[in-house]
Amino acid sequence: APFRSQEKKKKESIFDLSKYIDKPIRVKFQGGREASGVLKGFDPLLNLVLDGTIEYMRDPDDQYKLTEDTRQLGLVVCRGTAVVLICPQDGMEAIPNPFIQQQDG
Amino acid sequence: MAVDCTRTNLELVDKCIGSRIHIVMKNDKEIVGTLLGFDDFVNMVLEDVTEFEITPEGRRITKLDQILLNGNNITMLIPGGEGPEV
Repeated sequence: APFRSQEKKKKESIFDLSKYIDKPIRVKFQGGREASGVLKGFDPLLNLVLDGTIEYMRDPDDQYKLTEDTRQLGLVVCRGTAVVLICPQDGMEAIPNPFIQQQDG
Repeated sequence: MAVDCTRTNLELVDKCIGSRIHIVMKNDKEIVGTLLGFDDFVNMVLEDVTEFEITPEGRRITKLDQILLNGNNITMLIPGGEGPEV
């Protein structure tokens, strides 16, 4: 009876990435790197293959500058151990900071 | 560039053995070298290695012979990559 949960669990993914195959996705990594590219392959460990990859790098002084410091990387294998976020490229947009308080005087 | 999706991602890295590969770490460091091999944890053995530090805008060390690169901090692997500009 105590072994039942071990048998059923196996290595089920809570999220199916196959629906993103051949679609552009955005990936964020530990360490602050971000990249986007067309998803060409993945495995249960979340290693990814991206094609036409663009990397966006964060400048420490410029906070979050998207257009500065991008570079083309082409065909890339992304390590699943470093991935912290995956989302579709058209599922996100940059917005002005909603937390800034208006300072008067 | 057509990619065979039925292969695993690490098979793609395996195809790169013997040729140049560009490794991007989690921090601002990048390594370019000839891939000799790797293991299940993607620790990598490379030779004719050049190490780049991106923020100070310059090339750091050129190491010959072989290095064992700890896979713990690897973010991206770029087969056939030549490394960053400059």
